[in-house]
Amino acid sequence: MTIVPKRLGVKFSLKRATTLQPDDILPIFQRWIQEHRVEGMLIDVVDYKHVPDGPGVVLIADEADYAYDLTDGKTGLNYIRKRDLPVDLEAALRLCFSRALAAAGALETEAPGDLAFDYCSAKISFLDRLQYRNLSAACENTRAPVTEILSEVFGSPVAVSRAYDDPRSIFALECRVEGGDVSAEGLLKRLQRAGQLS
Amino acid sequence: MTTWKEILKDDIPPEMGKLIDTYEAQMELRKQGKLDEKVFAEARLRKGVYGQRYDNGQRHDGVRTRDLAYPSGETVKGPDTLWDAPGMQRIKIPYGGLTAEQLEVLSELADEYSDGILHITTRQDIQLHYVHIDDTPDLMRRLAAVDITTQEACGNSVRNITACTLAGVCHDEVFDVSPYADAMTHFLLNHDDVQDFGRKFKVAFSGCAGHACGLVKMHDLGLLAQTRDIDGQTVRGFTVFVGGGLGTVPHQAKVLAEFCTEAELLPLTQAVARVFARLGEKKNRNRARIKFLVAKLGIDEFRREVEAELQTVPPDDRHTGYIADLSDFTYHPAKAGMALNGAQLPDGFAEWYRTNVYRQVQTGYSTITLNTPLGDFTAEQGFQLADIARRYVGDNIRLSVEQNVILRWVADADLPAIYRDLCEIGLGDANAGTIVDITTCPGTDTCKLGIASSRGLTAELRTRLIEKINLLPDAVRELKIKVSGCFNSCGQHHVADIGFFGNSRRSGNHKMPHFQVVLGGQWQQNAGSYGLAVGAVPAKSVPEVLEALTNRYVAERGQGENFQTWVKDLGRKEIKAMLQPFMKLPSFEERPAHFSDWGDSRVYTIDDIGVGECAGEVVSLFSMEISKAESTQFEALLALDDGDYHMADEQAYKAMVMAARALVRTKYLDVGEDYDKIVQEFRSRFYDTELIYDRFAKGKFARYLFKRHEGAPARVDEDYAHQIIDETQLFIENVHSAEQRINGVIVA
Repeated sequence: MTIVPKRLGVKFSLKRATTLQPDDILPIFQRWIQEHRVEGMLIDVVDYKHVPDGPGVVLIADEADYAYDLTDGKTGLNYIRKRDLPVDLEAALRLCFSRALAAAGALETEAPGDLAFDYCSAKISFLDRLQYRNLSAACENTRAPVTEILSEVFGSPVAVSRAYDDPRSIFALECRVEGGDVSAEGLLKRLQRAGQLS
Repeated sequence: MTTWKEILKDDIPPEMGKLIDTYEAQMELRKQGKLDEKVFAEARLRKGVYGQRYDNGQRHDGVRTRDLAYPSGETVKGPDTLWDAPGMQRIKIPYGGLTAEQLEVLSELADEYSDGILHITTRQDIQLHYVHIDDTPDLMRRLAAVDITTQEACGNSVRNITACTLAGVCHDEVFDVSPYADAMTHFLLNHDDVQDFGRKFKVAFSGCAGHACGLVKMHDLGLLAQTRDIDGQTVRGFTVFVGGGLGTVPHQAKVLAEFCTEAELLPLTQAVARVFARLGEKKNRNRARIKFLVAKLGIDEFRREVEAELQTVPPDDRHTGYIADLSDFTYHPAKAGMALNGAQLPDGFAEWYRTNVYRQVQTGYSTITLNTPLGDFTAEQGFQLADIARRYVGDNIRLSVEQNVILRWVADADLPAIYRDLCEIGLGDANAGTIVDITTCPGTDTCKLGIASSRGLTAELRTRLIEKINLLPDAVRELKIKVSGCFNSCGQHHVADIGFFGNSRRSGNHKMPHFQVVLGGQWQQNAGSYGLAVGAVPAKSVPEVLEALTNRYVAERGQGENFQTWVKDLGRKEIKAMLQPFMKLPSFEERPAHFSDWGDSRVYTIDDIGVGECAGEVVSLFSMEISKAESTQFEALLALDDGDYHMADEQAYKAMVMAARALVRTKYLDVGEDYDKIVQEFRSRFYDTELIYDRFAKGKFARYLFKRHEGAPARVDEDYAHQIIDETQLFIENVHSAEQRINGVIVA
């Protein structure tokens, strides 16, 4: 069985550039805490927009963080599960995808302007250098099971590649649906059908 | 599954490894409710594991205060501090010196245990926020493997020892203070004489009197480099300052010794520490810093106490042993020094060169400052910075008290190239050390004591000032701004030209975030004088206040007049009159935005303020030491569970000796760590006198220690291991009871 990392992240990047600024996200995330708009024990909002290519604006929860993330020069919604991950990688991935998807959908609905995420691709981060050093061996061992799981999640064949070459960076995989389009609704239905959401 | 402990076992210095294991055992005992929460809190703080805002399980969401139902329920890691609540990990970086490898490990930890951000503090530490306590032992092991410790980073201990970032490359220094800061760090770390303070103790070194760098006059102990001719020899030494500090009530340090030689430095420091431990306030934490003791006794009486104490300091080879090693402290630049050679300069280089580059005393080399916004950089920037360091400067990285990264020993010919590389990773901003390079504490973002958002205000001022930096007159560009989220001065607002600290005011039925304006503090002359508080203004009015102040300064200042003099000449009354229009409070209906803080859309409240942990927990020396004995006994139990009976025996024996030592030290502080000596002292002071005697068992439990001290049995099996662990438990209980009877009063 493929080991579940200590922390696991799923990021959906924006489909196109937006006029929305990170400052616009702050009140949305604060409101999410008031209204318990997304899953988790929501604690606080942190503003790192002054740091280039950083985590942007982060909604901190006990078991996970939701970030309007600016890393890699790609703005997106990054869900990082920090605790209580399922022990099975498929269940863990499905959980993170569903949480990221729900948050991205909520942002699209609530943010002013033209915010839209690209649901045909995602970055999966394995934040655990004890189990997952960013080496080609880790990629080879992980790519096949992740590809299999994600092809099922997306309902289409998925191409998976290593996100960073630098062995010091976190181990992360970029995945992209090969051909076709994927909607948030379709993705969510498939995740729910699997009945593995917690 | 493999663990970090296993992987790094050959890389972690044994002493550091043991301390981390002890801490991990203490965590387990606390979770089981077997270790008092105050004792654990102080043990945790001394590992740099700090609480954060909302860790009491409550947060005001802008409408009402809500409970945060952490999964750990009622389990606490200190008074009113819930176990699962995210916390801050402070990491000591002595004199701010880092290697490229250390920077990489710190970046890894930020990725995996924090939120991807490394924060530089005003004491040259690194802080990681939103760290779960369960992750801290492994985090510490990974640091220990690259020779970084978090030991005594918080709590009532000697905090990170700071020094000028230009030490060793400066034109004006008397000599390089770096190796002395290094030696003192090693000497004081875990030293017996620094374990019983009522509050923290901050030490700083400076190489010269005139510049700011070391800020020795605002420290508990400040060391200013000097030389003297003695018998025709030039002798190195220090002017010793004591009793300085910012905080709510700032004190300028007093001169304890005009000149102490390098040979006298460590014993004198030890004597100061012993006086502070012996006479310093322990109950009232608000008056427990050494500055209050110095003020209470007067510097002359304090000096007499130190001189008398010096006579009782036991001989120690380390007092002078370090001097022979000073010459080993050398710098290894990555490249030979070489002048700028007419290469084409990139756009923006000239401005960056003007503000961020310092020509070293060594020909052909420069030191550069990376203007790090709010002291933050990402883990990815950390990796890239390590690459840049290796390429251009080697391991010559430092962190500054102005929350920037410093690269030393850049060959001048490389300046254009390193500037290009820094721009590529977002760290090529000019204007280091200018008005845009604002210092700030964490404030309400993460600090339990924060009243207003110092980081929010800093980010706003920085954005506005960068936009118009090229239009500002030099006199304004050169000003220093420092911001604290409350009166406790972590942002060092007292020593800025223009300082702000957070407070609040009421308007109608609402609270409004405010900042007190503090003007005319002196950064130069080692924090030569403190500023004047002139009035509180709404947080949202601070940018206008700043503009009004600087405009008037530019318009009215005399030829060459600096800000401090201008403020003094203008007078508090006139300045207050200038601020008066901003001090009028609008109603909530008139200006609702004024009732939210910078970077926070919630309606402002002060309901989230908690009890700070800066002061640490006032826990007796005995309590701290006996808790270590208990955690060692717990390790013996773990060894027994693992079937390692020899290890179980060793740990149980060690726990008994540690418990005995805890009691002996209530009478005899300098007992040391030799087992024979400890047991001998324990026997003569507590067994022969029958002070340790149990009402019914008499001296039976003490004899467990004596028996084991004579030697382990020939056969160490499971039954024996069980037995000695049980005996250890009984002995520790016996020591607890005896200490309560004797009340632990130090008599010698």
